[in-house]
Amino acid sequence: MTDAARTGDQEEARLVIERGSASGSAETFLIVHADGRVTGHNGHVDLGTGIATALAQIVAEELDAAPDQVAMVLGDTGRTPDQGPTIASETIQVAAVPLRKAAAQARGILLSRAARLLDAAPEDLAIEAGLVFAPGSNRRLGFGEILAGATIRAELDLATPVKPAEAYRLVGTSLPRVDIPDKVSGRATYVHDVRLPGMLHGRVVRPPYAGRDSGDFIGRSLLFVDRASVASLPGFVELVVIADFVGIVCEREDQAAEAARRLKIAWREPPPLPGLDDLAAALTAHPATPRTLSDHGDVEAVLPGSAVRLKRRYVWPYQMHASIGPSCAVADFRDGLLTLWSGTQNPHMLRGDLCRLLQLPPERIDIRRHEAAGCYGRNCADDVSADASLLSRAVGRPVRVQLTRAEEHAWEPKGAAQLIDVEGGLSADGGLAAYDFETRYPSNRGPNLALLLTGAISPDPQPSDMGDRTAIPPYRYAAERIRVHDMAPIVRASWMRGVSAMPNSFAHESFIDELAAAAVEDPVAFRLRHLKDPRAAELVRATAGRAGWVERSGPRRTGDGSGEGGKLYGQGFAYAVYVHGAFPGTAAAHAAWIAEVAVDRRTGEVALERVVVGHDTGQMINPAGVRHQIHGNVVQSASRVLKEEVAFENSTVASRDWGSYPIAQFPEIPDVDVLMLPRPADPPLGVGESASVPSAAAIANAIFDATGVRFRELPFTPERIKAGLDAAWGAPAPPARLEPAAPAPAPGTVSPRRRPPLLRRLLAPVLAGLAATIGTAAVGLVLRAPIAPVAPPDPATWSAATLERGRQLAALGDCAVCHTVPGGSANAGGRAIETPFGTVYSTNITPDPETGIGAWSYPAFARAMREGISRDGRHLYPAFPYSAFAKTGEADLEALYAHLMAQPPVRATPPATALAFPFNLRPLMAGWNALYHKAEALRPVVSRSEAWNRGRYLVEGLGHCSACHSPRNPLGAEKRGAAHLSGGIADGWHAPALDGTGEAPLGWTQDALYAYLRTGRSAEHGAAAGSMAPVVASLTGVPDTDIRAMAVYLASLSKAAPQGDRQAEAARLVAASEADIRPAQSLGARLYDGACAVCHRSGAEATLFNAGTPLALTTAVNAAAPDNLIRTIFGGLAPAASGAHSAMPGFAETFTDRQVAALVSYLRSRFARGRAPWDDVEARVAKIRASLSEASTAGG
Amino acid sequence: MTPKSDAAISLTVNGTDHRLAVPPAAPLLDVLRNDLRLNGPKFGCGLGQCGACTVLIDGLAARACTIPAGSVAGRRIVTLEGLSRDGRLDAVQEAFVAEQAVQCGYCLNGMIMTLKALTLRDPAPDERAIREALRYNLCRCGTHLEILAAARRACGLRPDARLSARDGGA
Ligand code: FES
Ligand code: FES
Repeated sequence: MTDAARTGDQEEARLVIERGSASGSAETFLIVHADGRVTGHNGHVDLGTGIATALAQIVAEELDAAPDQVAMVLGDTGRTPDQGPTIASETIQVAAVPLRKAAAQARGILLSRAARLLDAAPEDLAIEAGLVFAPGSNRRLGFGEILAGATIRAELDLATPVKPAEAYRLVGTSLPRVDIPDKVSGRATYVHDVRLPGMLHGRVVRPPYAGRDSGDFIGRSLLFVDRASVASLPGFVELVVIADFVGIVCEREDQAAEAARRLKIAWREPPPLPGLDDLAAALTAHPATPRTLSDHGDVEAVLPGSAVRLKRRYVWPYQMHASIGPSCAVADFRDGLLTLWSGTQNPHMLRGDLCRLLQLPPERIDIRRHEAAGCYGRNCADDVSADASLLSRAVGRPVRVQLTRAEEHAWEPKGAAQLIDVEGGLSADGGLAAYDFETRYPSNRGPNLALLLTGAISPDPQPSDMGDRTAIPPYRYAAERIRVHDMAPIVRASWMRGVSAMPNSFAHESFIDELAAAAVEDPVAFRLRHLKDPRAAELVRATAGRAGWVERSGPRRTGDGSGEGGKLYGQGFAYAVYVHGAFPGTAAAHAAWIAEVAVDRRTGEVALERVVVGHDTGQMINPAGVRHQIHGNVVQSASRVLKEEVAFENSTVASRDWGSYPIAQFPEIPDVDVLMLPRPADPPLGVGESASVPSAAAIANAIFDATGVRFRELPFTPERIKAGLDAAWGAPAPPARLEPAAPAPAPGTVSPRRRPPLLRRLLAPVLAGLAATIGTAAVGLVLRAPIAPVAPPDPATWSAATLERGRQLAALGDCAVCHTVPGGSANAGGRAIETPFGTVYSTNITPDPETGIGAWSYPAFARAMREGISRDGRHLYPAFPYSAFAKTGEADLEALYAHLMAQPPVRATPPATALAFPFNLRPLMAGWNALYHKAEALRPVVSRSEAWNRGRYLVEGLGHCSACHSPRNPLGAEKRGAAHLSGGIADGWHAPALDGTGEAPLGWTQDALYAYLRTGRSAEHGAAAGSMAPVVASLTGVPDTDIRAMAVYLASLSKAAPQGDRQAEAARLVAASEADIRPAQSLGARLYDGACAVCHRSGAEATLFNAGTPLALTTAVNAAAPDNLIRTIFGGLAPAASGAHSAMPGFAETFTDRQVAALVSYLRSRFARGRAPWDDVEARVAKIRASLSEASTAGG
Repeated sequence: MTPKSDAAISLTVNGTDHRLAVPPAAPLLDVLRNDLRLNGPKFGCGLGQCGACTVLIDGLAARACTIPAGSVAGRRIVTLEGLSRDGRLDAVQEAFVAEQAVQCGYCLNGMIMTLKALTLRDPAPDERAIREALRYNLCRCGTHLEILAAARRACGLRPDARLSARDGGA
């Protein structure tokens, strides 16, 4: 709609209603175009609330135009008046007023011109659907005809009379929303969808102090940034660094994302944040300026004499706006002119910030407002707009910046935590004697992040005065003192739906409920006796009637929770009016809630079953739109009350995804019954937002009705409720099933310092001794003769069949897996292989004569393969699995040699392997060989099938499975006998046992082995991960018969062949693991539900492309150690070349160590039920993360 | 090992075959949005958690943000844009218009595509099945009640099945 309206207003405009602004330029409110179309202009924006439809309805009403004749332009700074930010639901109540007047004024002008044309008096004319006529005449004139080419500019006259409500025809009807058809078909252009010619893509790299905005480290924490780490990446355009602002621009979005991940950057460690685990303590200790909003009747004198005196404290957590779409903006900065496509909530305020950031006058900045994901307050929309502007300025081309989910979650200005202390009392006759209310709200208007990061503004703590919303209670207390403690943010915080009114009302409405209980009165009747506003009382009565409110004089406690599934049912009431703007502020709509809950005594789960909302918003422009807003507010606020709380760790925000910040899911959505009081003659009040405000108290009061226990701190998670009930009632009998407790990390746990790998430390002394022994014993064996170099042989000497066979064998032997660095040329060596003795680098096995094996004759090659001796006579380390290769037959070795010699030579010298003493003494390997190496071919076992013998030859020979899947002794030799293929280690991954002793919950059948080796995934076990993934990829080149043969042989190693109905067994395991999985009752459970369950829950395979394996079936969860599971969570999975599965995302950048540990421990307890919990999970997690970051640093 | 960035990949989207010189590791979502300029699928999390990016792949709901474009060559990919035929909206889309089941609409793509996938495999799901199918599709505007009404309508249930018995209103 805005796009349609954008086509050249100025030339076509005929009748313009405007207002001269102080700066001399005019602000447009309404245009009637030559073709009769009308555009209304409003400085507020549509945040997904359907406000565009309602505003167009108002314009059409005043003009009696057809609704589809009117379009709205919202929020563009170049074309709309500055009406402040779109907040507090005040668009209709406040911002629409001049628009309505402008339309009425245009109507008058049109009528007086038409009067002349129609030869009638203006007051005799009527308008219908945009056509003007004299009653009784057939002649009808459109607006365009009336203007007849004239251009008229009129100054907005706010004294223009508007239609009386009785005359409304459009206002008050539920017109369909204008934006929906385009949205359901994918035609709508959100700011995320803006594409400009030559547009580049940017990503930001934020400092480690996510979510903080004051303190002298802000803007001063960057230590170094290494441009070279990204400059040569494909598509790289620019790295922009201004103080702590860092951004990268690339040609493609995926390239920018990759570059942002790869950028090497170091930051100063931010100073610690005050502990936020105890919010009440943190908010009490935070510097504040008290402000008294109301003080009458001397509370301090009255309180001590009260018949009932209560002192209560209410705690509201930090919460998130949590827009579904992370913020995005497109900027085009050229020739000193910035054009910005933005989803901002406050275009004019943003323009002011950009003037400051870019040192530009306002007229050089043109902000084009586009719809974005709903924001519900101040999210990162403005931050990303500034980011895009800085990046575009640096490259002189249009740049689109998309924040990641983690950036939006971590950096958005949060909905502030709040602490409310109330002390009050009843007089002897049950009257409201005194109310002493103090509220603390650490929040401000959320200064633009780029201003802070670049140092354009100083990062001083800045309080604001928005903690006073609905701070005055709606009840008449004889003595009342209301104080707000204005305070700067502790973490970045700004307005969020309901602002401070929601927590303040939580306190007012919980407290009045407590007083009613103390007075042994019905909570609704008690409120009605004391409400100040008769209009509110009317709503309260109507809502109670609608909901079938059951009168009671105390909590009904429908039982002790032991019967009927342990459920307790309750009904709770709350009322609030949302007061916004500077104190004393303006009242928006009134809202009342009756919440019906079922509380599960055993788990503590609170299910919100039904909400009846009464709403009085005065005149309604579009009742269906109002109802949708009410629904949205009920659902969102219930989510906040029951589930939401930002987590902090290591002095920063730890909720960075939907697992760590869960919000309402469809199965939890209550029935909602909306009662909208019809008041067509009263002025319209702010809609919707009000309906959020009573939520917390209504739910808390319902829980009280059900249980008799008061809860005064959000969110009402199962853990909190259960703990509260246990404390009040004593713990219930332990449940029949085992519920895994969340691993409780010791407070102040720190990651262990990096140390050499454990094994190396333990074994070093022993090894040194052993090495000495061998060294002596092995004298005389150490030197082997070099084999003379030869000219590289001509590949033409080999037959195609030989070369093909060699290719297959190379695939089978995974040569390229170890002899290629990730991203490097195949077989050119240099890949680091971690061994307990240090890092061994693989060699170049391309036929380059100097750096590779081009000068190797076949005998030299065969000696290396069989004996581990390099052509020059040096010993190779047994990381090169010559013990296995030695079992390969002559013809196969020749074919492999031929294949390698036929590859393109690559000149590349891999890093030299430098092990610590004594392993750096290569000659010692001779002694090792004497002890552990047998260079002999396998003899076929005649009693076994041909396939088995073939499989054995491949598995034990070139396939060298035992190199990873057998344990090694302290000298790095594979253990033999019973230990053969009983599980080993590869690159830090546990290579599971292949002899049937492994931990796979379902034994491996031949078919499962075949599927796994062939495709990289077995439905009964999961996907090949870690070092096994490239092995499977390499096996792609091996013929089916050979893969089958390997499966035959490997399956035969199991002592007991798996039997029974495997599908049924799998289904049983999965079903058992998911029984009682809800509600989530620990951090780990929530992380699983938000991050893993969508793909890994049972049944996902039938509904979701690329679903994961149910975790109960995976070896990783059932293994003796958590390493493989931890590594998979960190790194995710790459797609299988076979197409058997696509990727799994990694969570290293999303989850903290503590979160990964909680998740891992939960998965173990839930999906490997019979197995013992893993120890020291958090330490393992920290260790593995450290090894990954080392590897990424080493690998570049 | 790492695919070269100029390797071309083939994608079949909304019935059209495309050959694109894009990095095979690029998320399918980026390729659909940036290379094929489709607005339907949206970026919400990049982690497969929210559903905003949902497309159909061989008739199943798929989270395009987690799927490397190179891994779905040869499969049938359908986006929101591909649901309508000859300019006529699909029944699921029509149900969303009828129920006005949109606030900001950012989650809408995921809701429609997930429900489309549901109706493809189960033309007559009940309320439970609908809610379960949408469990991991997140909406922050709280449009759930209208989305459920649209879902019921698209699945042949009464749109107001759970609401209107008690929900009179204006
Ligand atoms: S963007 Fe793909 S699931 Fe959220
Ligand atoms: S409608 Fe806005 S996120 Fe669902």
